[in-house]
Amino acid sequence: MVQAQEKKPRQAAAQVSDFKSGNEMAALSAKQINFHVMGYYPITPSTEIAELLDQMKADGEHQIAMIPADGEHGAAGLCYGASTGGGRVFNATSSQGLLYSLEQLPVQSATRFPMVLDLVTRSVNGPLNIRGDHSDLYFTLNTGWIILLAREPQAVYDMNIIAVRLGERPEVRLPVIVAYDGFFTSHQSRRVNYFEDDQTVQEFIGPMTEALTALDPRHPVTIGPYMNDPDLINNKYQLKLAMEAAQLAVPKVFAEYAAISGRHYAPVDLYCMEDADVAVLLLNSAAETAKDVADRLREQGVRAGVVSPNVIRPFPAQELRDALRNVRALVIGERADAYGAHGGNITHEVKSALKEDPENQTLCLTRIYGLGGKDFYDEDAEHFFGLALAAADSGRVDEPFDYHGVTPGDPTMAPAKLGLPPLRKEETVTGLIKVHVDEDGDGLRVEAPPAWQLVTRAKRFAPGHGACPGCGIFPALDQFFKGIEGDVVVLYQTGCAMVVTTGYPYSSHRVTYIHNLFQNGASTLGGLVEMFHERLRRGELPSGEEITFVMVTGDGGMDIGMGAAIGAALRNHHMIIVEYDNQGYMNTGSQLSYSTPLGHLTSTSHVGAAQTGKAFHHKDTPQIMAATNIPYVFTAVEGFPDDLLIKAAKSQWYARHLGMAYCKVLISCPLNWRSEDKTGTDVVQAAVDCSFFPLYEIERGITRITYDPDELGRRIPARSWLEMMGKTKHLIKPENKAELDAFEAEVNRRWERLKAMHESPLL
Amino acid sequence: MRLARLQQKPERAATSTGRTARQKPAPALAIPENSADGFFGIRFESIGGLGAHLAGHMLAQAGVLGQGLNGAHFSSYGSEKKGSPLKSFVRFCAADREIRTSSPIENPQVVAVFHEALTKSHDVTAGLSATGAAIMNTRSTPDEARQRLGLNAGTVAVVDALGIAVEEGSRVNTAMLGAVTQICGFIDPEAVRETIRQTLSHRYPNLVEANLRTFDRGYQEVRRKTYRAAAGTEPAAAEHVPPAFGYLDAPIGGAVLDPGNTIVKDLTASRQGFIPVFDSEACVHCGVCDLVCPDLCLVWEEEQQGDEGPAVRLRGIDYRYCKGCLKCSEACPTEAMVSMREEEGYADDHRVALYAWLEPPRFESGVTRGTSDGSR
Repeated sequence: MVQAQEKKPRQAAAQVSDFKSGNEMAALSAKQINFHVMGYYPITPSTEIAELLDQMKADGEHQIAMIPADGEHGAAGLCYGASTGGGRVFNATSSQGLLYSLEQLPVQSATRFPMVLDLVTRSVNGPLNIRGDHSDLYFTLNTGWIILLAREPQAVYDMNIIAVRLGERPEVRLPVIVAYDGFFTSHQSRRVNYFEDDQTVQEFIGPMTEALTALDPRHPVTIGPYMNDPDLINNKYQLKLAMEAAQLAVPKVFAEYAAISGRHYAPVDLYCMEDADVAVLLLNSAAETAKDVADRLREQGVRAGVVSPNVIRPFPAQELRDALRNVRALVIGERADAYGAHGGNITHEVKSALKEDPENQTLCLTRIYGLGGKDFYDEDAEHFFGLALAAADSGRVDEPFDYHGVTPGDPTMAPAKLGLPPLRKEETVTGLIKVHVDEDGDGLRVEAPPAWQLVTRAKRFAPGHGACPGCGIFPALDQFFKGIEGDVVVLYQTGCAMVVTTGYPYSSHRVTYIHNLFQNGASTLGGLVEMFHERLRRGELPSGEEITFVMVTGDGGMDIGMGAAIGAALRNHHMIIVEYDNQGYMNTGSQLSYSTPLGHLTSTSHVGAAQTGKAFHHKDTPQIMAATNIPYVFTAVEGFPDDLLIKAAKSQWYARHLGMAYCKVLISCPLNWRSEDKTGTDVVQAAVDCSFFPLYEIERGITRITYDPDELGRRIPARSWLEMMGKTKHLIKPENKAELDAFEAEVNRRWERLKAMHESPLL
Repeated sequence: MRLARLQQKPERAATSTGRTARQKPAPALAIPENSADGFFGIRFESIGGLGAHLAGHMLAQAGVLGQGLNGAHFSSYGSEKKGSPLKSFVRFCAADREIRTSSPIENPQVVAVFHEALTKSHDVTAGLSATGAAIMNTRSTPDEARQRLGLNAGTVAVVDALGIAVEEGSRVNTAMLGAVTQICGFIDPEAVRETIRQTLSHRYPNLVEANLRTFDRGYQEVRRKTYRAAAGTEPAAAEHVPPAFGYLDAPIGGAVLDPGNTIVKDLTASRQGFIPVFDSEACVHCGVCDLVCPDLCLVWEEEQQGDEGPAVRLRGIDYRYCKGCLKCSEACPTEAMVSMREEEGYADDHRVALYAWLEPPRFESGVTRGTSDGSR
């Protein structure tokens, strides 16, 4: 690397013009950098980066090892581990994903392993919102990472390449975040340029030279020792010095990049600031909108300017002092608040920078705007300039800190309740479903009418939800709840079922519903169950009150939330977990989950010359949950409603009397399985008949197959199921016979093992 | 600094190879810049699953890479799924002008309605310029379409994009792209054809020819008629609908205290041409349809039958919630549920209401801004 940096930068290199979005430019830069490893976990709006890179990988366009983690915490761990091995590492995330991985960020910086993290900024939950603000970005300010901002798709590309060279400089050696606005930049296509030859990028970043590597047994190194005082403060001082070195390096690397690209960046982007009386300071895309407004104000004779940092760590304090020296009033617009701090984080850093200039007289106002992706229009920028002008004219600031764009509403005009009345107790109990304990005491016998006779029983959710046509979630859940008598409280983990039933201010739920992020739903519901029992014990709830607690999750929630689910199972809370398995992260656009079977096509397991769908077998979640020795585990599909009804009734008995019950229902996702909307029932039935998805239960350790296609003469080959879906049709082709054989062999192995378990009470 | 960057542009062009990633620029036609902000704005009104986003991207790419215009493209994003309303936006301007704004297009010159049923529930032409054009995928005449769009003045263009797509074995999006290209006037159809070819040839080479034919037919078969404003009328301006609750009256913590209030929604626009038809004569009331219906839109009643307890009877379908997936007709053992190409007015005439007290679905207006429906 030293050589590369000493080397005189090349002359302006050949470039290609194109029309691409921010996420496309991020993926393109990563491909040209050809990182060694990308550890990632899908989260909107950053997901496309991994999807696009996976597509390119399938087409053989790069060699990045793409590792789908079990959650962002895992992804950050993968990246950290990979970076200790002396290669280049990339990650991309947003919002909650960033927060879930947050504890890993100071580890990465303090142990001084450079890598690049693209933060596609998005609002932080709760309530859950997928659109762009800077509340996630502000959490990174104290992590010891360099933070570059990219205001438009072109800058996304440029900053990613700059990030590698900057972070790897020997005097810096810090990880770098490249942050750009979710949707506004990530999903907006603009005119862009990029280097025609990947080699141009390779030469600019140079070969990586590691300071330390965990992969040289001849030079053993202890990475991350236990360090108390008085040493830790010195480690942190090294970090401070590295940030100062980065401050000096930033303009140099920007200049080196300008030499090959023709695109000039400065630590602070200044627009019409030479003689500005009034200015607004904004981060990223909103600053661009404000420039248009500044142009119009200038035509009217107002000396207006726009200030927008390209780097916020290290914070460009001197550049801001210089830029604002003669500005009379500045409005700092912030897309995130630092609650209780009388201004967002950037406000305090700007004010602090100005304080060190004794001559500075700039009046500063702060307005929080655009939270949750609320659009920033020209008129919003005009309002900000108007505030600055009023302050400049009057020489004082009336309201230094406020929100812009909030709606008061009218408490005297409360919106009418338009939903359904709460379910009456008698509506929740049919009295038709009875569960009896077997005479030998180790099993249950359920007396229930056929499911179709219960079509008039009150449903726990209402119509009007926004699921795709033909979605398999709701028939499965409705059939399950048909078997549950009495009051229920539900917790839905993040996923399709949650999103399509609760778009504010609407809710499809007729019963009490809680959402928590899917890495933690089982813990959350476990906590509520324990509160219920404790308040019952203290006499704070009516004696004899019975509530059945049900957690609803997708298969994605059982990946990232596996730890919480196992913890809740080991504690054996009295609750039911219902997993609807559609074999992928469908809520974010069909990325692979660990439940996606081998070879299946998803947006992160593409099919191409260099790759044939998902690389590893589907997760056997029922067996994992059974290994916690909870009293009841079962599988079901919508095509066998009576089977599902009886198992649901059993699960309720177990949740009431013995502890946790877990259920996996395979459901179809016509959109992402690429099957016809109307065929969902048949497709999951075929999954059962080919014994890919056997119907069985494990009741207090005893396995029982409840539907045996072999015995009934209904067994079909797995390929007959795969032929029904567009996501698997490639597996039928002769060139993919190896994958098909491996898949069928695994299906058969698991089925034969299950049959053996069914035969023996000891297995 | 930005100004410095601007000045460097010609120089940069000289050092680049001049090659574009995809195609050679054709001579740019003049863009009619008649909007207040100087951009030519195009808005697609569609539902998820019809390919409006891809069509918008291809249109913008054709203008930028094929004709050397400057342009931007993006779509509205929320938690919307297939069948949910979606907008896609294209901005064009002259090559030497920068595009900085990222906000949605509120005052477009052209609106293209991919899905006719949206006109019932959404103000799809909100903010359309009085000299602009609305293009609709419909079998109706321009006069009928104008009435459905509630448009006072401007150009109304109609094209049977669905019919073309069905005949050509493609999708409505390329037919609409053809119609939009024709109506815009300054987009070179060859540039769009080339973009279609390049977009599809990598992944779906066998679909290229059908899509090009679809595009050509949309381009040729679109019919337009221009209406002058009646004296004293003004075009409807884009309207920002305030949220149902504000900070003074929203329950704290973002809770929803109105259980099951999604029943006020109208999901009619999620259907894509087909609808289940109920034949009570053929029905044996077996309940299988209800067990597989994702949308809880079947209406049942109980009848007491002596000692045997209640018997259930299917009364019909509440089409307000039916998304037309047809799982019911697939599951029905007796042909009491059959699939039909949806005809105008059928659902209204045959709907059995689940909640008779509910008002008819409300019209959602001024939907340019915001993440989801603001009406309540």
